[in-house]
Amino acid sequence: MMTNMSENQADSRVEIILASQIGYERIAMACSATFAEMFGFPKERIEDLKTIVSEASINAMQHGNKGRVDAKVIVSMFFQDDTIRVRVADEGDGIKERPPIPDIEKIIETNEALSGFGLFLIEQLADQVEFKESADKGHVVEMALKMKA
Amino acid sequence: MQNKNEIALEKHGSVVILKIQGDITSFSEPFLNQAYKEANDQGTEKILLNLQEGAYINSGGIAVLIQILAQTKKNNQKISITGLSEHIKKIFNMVGITKFADIHSDVESAIAAMSE
Repeated sequence: MMTNMSENQADSRVEIILASQIGYERIAMACSATFAEMFGFPKERIEDLKTIVSEASINAMQHGNKGRVDAKVIVSMFFQDDTIRVRVADEGDGIKERPPIPDIEKIIETNEALSGFGLFLIEQLADQVEFKESADKGHVVEMALKMKA
Repeated sequence: MQNKNEIALEKHGSVVILKIQGDITSFSEPFLNQAYKEANDQGTEKILLNLQEGAYINSGGIAVLIQILAQTKKNNQKISITGLSEHIKKIFNMVGITKFADIHSDVESAIAAMSE
């Protein structure tokens, strides 16, 4: 069970508030990279972290907040037990139906709609992923990434 | 923020190289499609995507690249990619891009392999 971030150490926590504007996810990415470097994460894991932060933020902007620029995406990170835990919250309703695992062969052969790659990458790269309702309003994805894969 | 790509087409023997500057995201779609169309209009059977090393590539960009792969498959063209970091190679392997495009470490080795 993933630890509830709200109960955790404030001394190793960072929080970023983003407008729902595609491109702004790179601010969270850069911040996550610096955060991981401070705790000595190896380069490969920092790259994994940047990707999951980016993709979760993009999903929050596009699918959660449905592109409403005034709707916030809040990215929180904290470090504990050689693990960085990332929480990405949006103002949406969450995932109604999980998209299927993207099948590139089917997509290429049949021109099937392209979707679900972001979620797929998150689930491949993170050590733990959970989707939940926010205590306030909106939807939250919580991800954990260990220092060593 | 970089929302556009500059793409130069270069012909090396039977291979057309698309030298792509900039990040690969959903914003890349019109630029990549236009460049692919120009390469296709030249009647090429071999296309090399030379991406800018260190470029940011997200799931939106992956979707755009897969659309290009689908077009090359439909047109019986061979496609290869170069200019990728180790992390992006891993990502491309995860999503299956490497089933449809060979990955090369540099332009020279890509051209050599594609010219065989």
